[in-house]
Amino acid sequence: MNGDTTNQPNVFEKVVDFVDERVGLKTIQAKMLNEPVPGGSRWAYAFGSCLLFIFIMQVVTGILLMFYYVPSTDHAYASTQYIIHEVDYGWFLLSYHFWGSSAMVVMVFAHMSQVFLWGAYKKPRELIWLVGLALFGLVMAFGFTGYLLPWDQRAYWATVVGVEIMDKTPVVGDFLSRFLKGGPTPGQMTLSRFFVIHVMILPAALMGLAGLHLFLFRKAGPAGPFRGTPDQIKAKTDYFFPRQVWKDIVAMATVFLIICTLTFIEPVVLLEEATPDPGDYHPEPEWYFLFLFQMLRLKIFAGEFGQFLGAVAIPGAFLGFLAALPFLDRSPERNIFKRPVALIGWIAIMAVILIFTVSAILNREFLD
Amino acid sequence: MSNAKLGLLVAWPTFWTGFPVKLVLALLMLAAGVHPWEGAGLEALLVLSIPIDIWALGLCSRTVFLERLSVDPPKGTGLRLWGMWAVFSVVYLPLLFMIVGGAKSLAQSAVHATLHFVEENVIVIPIAEKISLELVMWGLPATIVLIVLVYGWLFGLGAVAQRFVRASAPVDGAFQDIVSKWDLLRIPRDQPLLLTAFTGSGVVLIFLFWGLLPVSTPHPHEEYEFIDVKKVEAKVEPKKVIQSAEQVLARAEATLKELEKDNPAGETPKAEKQAEAPEKAAPKAKPAASGAPGSSGREHNPADHTH
Repeated sequence: MNGDTTNQPNVFEKVVDFVDERVGLKTIQAKMLNEPVPGGSRWAYAFGSCLLFIFIMQVVTGILLMFYYVPSTDHAYASTQYIIHEVDYGWFLLSYHFWGSSAMVVMVFAHMSQVFLWGAYKKPRELIWLVGLALFGLVMAFGFTGYLLPWDQRAYWATVVGVEIMDKTPVVGDFLSRFLKGGPTPGQMTLSRFFVIHVMILPAALMGLAGLHLFLFRKAGPAGPFRGTPDQIKAKTDYFFPRQVWKDIVAMATVFLIICTLTFIEPVVLLEEATPDPGDYHPEPEWYFLFLFQMLRLKIFAGEFGQFLGAVAIPGAFLGFLAALPFLDRSPERNIFKRPVALIGWIAIMAVILIFTVSAILNREFLD
Repeated sequence: MSNAKLGLLVAWPTFWTGFPVKLVLALLMLAAGVHPWEGAGLEALLVLSIPIDIWALGLCSRTVFLERLSVDPPKGTGLRLWGMWAVFSVVYLPLLFMIVGGAKSLAQSAVHATLHFVEENVIVIPIAEKISLELVMWGLPATIVLIVLVYGWLFGLGAVAQRFVRASAPVDGAFQDIVSKWDLLRIPRDQPLLLTAFTGSGVVLIFLFWGLLPVSTPHPHEEYEFIDVKKVEAKVEPKKVIQSAEQVLARAEATLKELEKDNPAGETPKAEKQAEAPEKAAPKAKPAASGAPGSSGREHNPADHTH
């Protein structure tokens, strides 16, 4: 019998070997962590990982909230108030979920901006960009459907405004608004449908598309920096683990801390329970739709055709342009400082969003 | 490298390196009910931020010096650079706020007067257009002033940092070696140790956070009232049920016998009265359902709320 036991695997290693033999654990680990990152790790690459982290946290907090939330018009408001006031740490979970949705929108904007400015949508990454756009739509749909669930005045009237904007879409608008409302005005059918879409359909769709997004990303590989000589990029090229993993972890921790801080500074406080009479309340959508809402107040977008133009045609054309972008912009140049039209266009769009969002906030004092 | 670029290259990562650590402190303060943006909370946060900033500045300046300028700064650069930057910023930043605030007020009053004149003499501008127009008209010059002054601040930070660049020793060797050197400043070679330290700190902070976190909301709704609906357990005792049923039957039997005594011919005057007035006897019909819950409102037009 051999008395040397130094090379014998311990219990943990035996378990790992057992699983590895059956599922190929080490191969998966190698594929996940040993991906080369051209030009080395960067903070700018952390947005995608942060988005995944925020989504997972939204799922976790959403499931915990569902233990107490009742999706009926009789109980939605009361059960939300119960979560805030009676459930242990319920106020924190609900506020985290609320701010998490805003963080997701901000992070989607940041991620899309980074991809656009880095020119990472260009060949051979067109499909990644397209799936990313679909994911952007899903994130917006998450925000829209989740906003109704507390069933207070803010929730109710934001939905009324949103659904009626949707109603202006040609061909499918009427069907969509009737389907979502389930009646002439928002009621039980609306709440049930929004709830099902929010907790069943959208998470399933997002998981599927996020998986596809990641698969396509791994297939094409990271685009890398748009500056630097090939030798410099090669010298800095590194594996995904450990440097990018650490950057991602620190970025995710920072996002988590920011969301937690916001829950303390501005926790969710409901307005009165939803009624079909707005009373003194001035309906407005969630903050990330405010710029569009403010644009619709301009005289140029008055009337039936104007509302269609501002609410549907222009945003639709813009999204169509974004979808076509990789096929229109075929230049291999990725350096944003050598793509003046792209840079100026991005700055202009950000400026328009900022100006109209701030204008909508300033507009509140004229309504009171 | 220009002064402003060097200032930006060092200041930007320094901010983001120190920010998460400061955020942890701010969050723990918030959980403990101490406001970190005012009074003693703010003072404590500022004092605690000093060592964090010195560490972050030392780390980031050395990284930038090695990577971009191929020079290795002397030891203690973080502390000395922080001291000089702090003195410069204490003088410069209040001036920046004063000048930007003044520029904003001046631009706002000029724009207000201009638009007032236009509305009096030329054309009435609708509210939504006026808000955005005013915002752009005063926001643009104020932003330009801000950008120029921030550039000046970065220029100053860079000018101070240049003194440390000149005092640094040049680094020889291949680019790959330099990359490894500055990279190892930020990510230590011993990954398991780093992972253990990071996870350990995370676990301690999470326990601390949940320990301090208020269980119920610190901002209760003014109209919220908890109604404790306790479930009343219905106890079924078969003997009592049978006894009460027997009593009911006995009472019914006695009533029936009395009725038979009073009306031996079997007349039913009450029934006749009911037949004469069916409206009174009929149960009240429930009013027609007003639709799904929440359906009694008027049709809403978003244009009603756009102004």
